[in-house]
Amino acid sequence: MDSDRSRAAASAVNRFGLGACPGDLARVTDPPAWLLAQVRQPPGGAPLIADLPTSLDYLRREGVVNRKRRELRLESGGAPTKAPGPDGKPVNPLAEIYRQEFGDDLRREAVARWRLAATTDTPFAERLVRFWSNHFAVSVDKGPARLYAAPFEREAIRPHWNGRFVDLLLAVETHPAMLRYLDQAQSVGPGSMLARRADRRLARRAHREDRPPRQLGLNENLAREIMELHTLGVDAHYSQRDVTEFARALTGWSMPYPGQLDRGDFDSGFLYRAAAHEPGTRTVMGRRYEDTGFDQARAILADLAVHPATARHLSLQLARHLVADDPPASLVDRMAAVYLRSGGDLPALYAELIHAPEAWDAKAIKFRTPQDYLVAAIRGGAIPIGDSPQPFEAWANRLGQPTFMPRSPAGFSDVAADWIGADAVWKRIQTALALAARVPRAGLDPQALARALLGPDLRGDTATAMARAEAPQQAIAIAFASPEFQWRA
Amino acid sequence: MTTRRQILAMLGVGAGASALTLWPTLTRASTGSDTRLLVLMLRGGLDGLHAIPPYGDPGYAALRGPLALSPAGPTAAGAAALKLDAIFALHPSLAFTALLYARGECLPIVAAAPPYWGRSHFDAQDCVENGTASPDGAETGWLNRAVGALHVDGLSLTTVMPLMMRGPVKVNSWSPPLPMQVGPILLQRLEPLYGDDPRLARAFAEAIAQQGGDASVEEAMDGPAMGMGMGMGGKAKPHPPIGAQLPGLMRAAGEFFARADGPRIGFLEDYGWDTHANQAPILTRKLKELDDGFAAFHAASTPVWGRTVVIVVTEFGRTARINGTSGTDHGTGGGMFLVGGAVQGGRVAGEWSGMAPGRLYQNRDILATTDQRAVFKGVLARHLGLAEGVLATSVFPNSAKVAPGEGLVRTRVAA
Repeated sequence: MDSDRSRAAASAVNRFGLGACPGDLARVTDPPAWLLAQVRQPPGGAPLIADLPTSLDYLRREGVVNRKRRELRLESGGAPTKAPGPDGKPVNPLAEIYRQEFGDDLRREAVARWRLAATTDTPFAERLVRFWSNHFAVSVDKGPARLYAAPFEREAIRPHWNGRFVDLLLAVETHPAMLRYLDQAQSVGPGSMLARRADRRLARRAHREDRPPRQLGLNENLAREIMELHTLGVDAHYSQRDVTEFARALTGWSMPYPGQLDRGDFDSGFLYRAAAHEPGTRTVMGRRYEDTGFDQARAILADLAVHPATARHLSLQLARHLVADDPPASLVDRMAAVYLRSGGDLPALYAELIHAPEAWDAKAIKFRTPQDYLVAAIRGGAIPIGDSPQPFEAWANRLGQPTFMPRSPAGFSDVAADWIGADAVWKRIQTALALAARVPRAGLDPQALARALLGPDLRGDTATAMARAEAPQQAIAIAFASPEFQWRA
Repeated sequence: MTTRRQILAMLGVGAGASALTLWPTLTRASTGSDTRLLVLMLRGGLDGLHAIPPYGDPGYAALRGPLALSPAGPTAAGAAALKLDAIFALHPSLAFTALLYARGECLPIVAAAPPYWGRSHFDAQDCVENGTASPDGAETGWLNRAVGALHVDGLSLTTVMPLMMRGPVKVNSWSPPLPMQVGPILLQRLEPLYGDDPRLARAFAEAIAQQGGDASVEEAMDGPAMGMGMGMGGKAKPHPPIGAQLPGLMRAAGEFFARADGPRIGFLEDYGWDTHANQAPILTRKLKELDDGFAAFHAASTPVWGRTVVIVVTEFGRTARINGTSGTDHGTGGGMFLVGGAVQGGRVAGEWSGMAPGRLYQNRDILATTDQRAVFKGVLARHLGLAEGVLATSVFPNSAKVAPGEGLVRTRVAA
C-alpha cells in the first residue's frame, strides 16, 4: 500500500510534474488529487513574469528600432561600417541598436522562465503550459518571430491552457507570434480590396522597373499548420482544397503596421483588416461558411476545435507527453470521447488522463527531454538561477533543445528515440558534472537528496556508486547522470 | 552599481580567460609585502605513496607490488620515478614539479593528514576545510576566516563556494568553463548503471567508444579487475579529445594572481583522485594534469611567482597495500605539496615512520605525523604575516597545540 503510494507520488512529481524538489515525494500524499488541484486553479509563479513587456510593447518598440535602423542604413548608403565594441571586436551598428533595445528584455525573459520552472509549486500546471507552448511551437530562429515566443506563452497559453480548447486555439492563432511565424500577417486575399488596388498600381507602374510594388497574395502556411499540427493532425481526412479554402477565410487576420501602432489605440497585436479579406463563402471539410469577415475563420476554428480528428490528435499528443511514447489505444480512445462529450474542455481531458489506470501503470514511462532534464536537476539540486540565463541556455543548446527554437512548427520531438543518442548521453554526463558543481554545498547530503528526488526509482547500484563517490559534488553528478534520472517513471 | 562579483558571475560558463581582463581595480590597498596564497584541493584522496613514492623504504616494494615505482628504471606502474633523495622520488608524470624541486621551489610533505582519521571522503574533506579537529567543528572555512583576518581579497575558482571559502567574509568566485572532461572514475561508476538500462546501455557504450580517443577511459576500464567487456580494445587512440580542466584552471588562477590588484588568496579544486581500481594509468594521467597545472600557473603568474605559495592538499592518503583491483582504498597519512617561488623547498618534509610491519597505522595506512593545520598555519604566519594568536583562536579554533610549521617558506614577513 505504502509502496504503491510512493510509486504514484514519484510518477506524479517526476512524470507529470517537472521533477521533484526535496520533500515533494513525501508531501504528495494523494497524487491524483495533487494533480487535479493544479488544473483547477491559475498556475503559480505569476509574479515572476508579471512585469515583463507585452507583445504590444515589443511591437511598438520594434517599430521604433526598425525606423532607426532604416535611417542608419540610408545615412551610410546601405551598410553602416562596423565599429569596435567594448571588447574590441567589430560590432554591426544595426545589430547593436537591436541589442541595446531588446538585449536586456531577452535576458529577463529567459531568466524568468528558468526561475519559474525551478521554483513553481504547481509543476504539473507548468508542464502543461510548456506542453501547449511546444504544441503551438513558435521557433525563434525565424527573425520576425524572435521577440514574440516568450510573450506568446504568457499571453496566449497561460490564460487558456486549462479552459476550453477553442479559446486556447483562438488566442494562439490571433497572437502576433503565430501570425508572424507562420506568415499569416501578410496573407492577402487575391480578390480582396487590397489586392485589387495593388493590381491597379502594378498595371500603372508596369513600365517602371526601379521598384515594382509588392505583389500581394494568399499564404497558406498558417491554415495548413493549424489543420496538420494544431488541430486535426496529419492523418485526418482533409484535402489541399480544404487548406486553401481555410487560408482564404483567414485572410485579413493580421497585425497593425508600425505607423498604426503609433497613432492608434490597440489593446493587442492583432488586427483584422477587412480590406485584405477574401470575399465569398468558403467550404472547408464539407461545411459552408458564409462571409462574415473575421468571424468566418473563427467559425472554422470553432468547428476544427471539436472535430473528432482533433479530439484524437490532442488526446494522443497529451497521452504521449505524459504517459508513454506509444500510449495505449484504450486510453487515447477514452480521452478523445471525453473531449468530444465535454465540447473540448481541457480540464475534463486532463482529469480523464489522471484517473486512467494506464497513466499509473509500470509501462508508463517517458524519457526526459534536455529541457526536462535540466529543469529536473535545477529543481532537485536547488540550483540558484542568477541574473543571467547563460549557463542554462548554453546547456540546453549543447543538449539539442534551445529554448523556443525547435526550428519547425511541429515543435520538439516527444519520443525517446529522438533524444537517446551516444552523443546526447555523453553530453548529459558532462552536463551532470556542470550541474552538480552548482548545487549549493551547505548541508548537502547526496544520498538523502537522491532518495528524496527519485524515491522508489533510485536503484541500489546508483546509491552504492554515490556512497563511494569521492566528494558530495561527485555523488550528485552520479545521481544526475544516472539512468533513472534520465527517465520520468 | 555592478559589483565585481556580478561581473564575474555574468561571465559565467564558457567565458574562459577573457574574464581575466575584467578584474576590476581594488579599492583596498594591499597589506604586508603583497604575498599570495593559492590552495588547491585534490578531492578523492590522492595516493601520496604513488605521487611521492618512498622507493628507499624497505617495506615499499613488497606492499605496493605492481604499483611500485623505482628511480632505477621502468616498472609495471610506469616509467622511472624522479629521484629526490635516498628515500623518496616523484612520480614520472611530475617532471615540471621535479624541476621546481631542483630549484628549491617545491616542498613535498609526506605522512600528513587532517585531524580526522575516519576515512570518509565527505567527513575528511569537511575537516580539511573547516579547520577544526572534527568534520562538524565549524560551519565556515578556515580560508574564509584567513581572508577576513588579513583584510585582503579572496577568490574561489569554483562555481559554488566550497566550505573552505564559505563564511561571513565576502569572497569572489569565478566560474570555470563547462567541465568538458568526464573523469575515468566517474565513468567506471556509471558504466554498470547504464549497463542495466536496456534502452540506454547501447548509447552509453557507443559514447564511450566515440570518446574512445580518450585513452584514459580505456585505461580505467580495461583493467583485469573491471572485466566490463565493452569492446573498446584495438581502437586507435590518437590523443584525448577532451581537455583536462586543471591546467586551464591553474592558468586562470595564475593570471588572476599576476595582476597587481589581483586576489591575495585563492582556492581551486580538482576531482578524480579516488583510485580504487586500476590506479597506475589513472594517476599517470592525473598527475600529469597536476604537473601541467603547476607549469600553467607558473607561466601565468610570473610577476608574482616569487611571492607565491601554492598549497596542494587532499583529504587522506590511501592504503599502503594495494587492493584486489589494482588500486588502493581510503587510508590516513598522505602527501601534500607546497610549490611557488616563496617556498623553501628542495627537500622532503614530514616525519616518516616507515612501512615496516608494525609501523603502519592500524596495520594498513601510513601513520600521519603532520597535522595539515600545522602546514596551513606555518604558511599563513610566515608567508602572509597572520599573528599566531589569531591563527590559534579564530582561523583554526582551539589549535594552540598545533604549532605553525617552520621553515616552509622563505620568510618575507617580519614577525
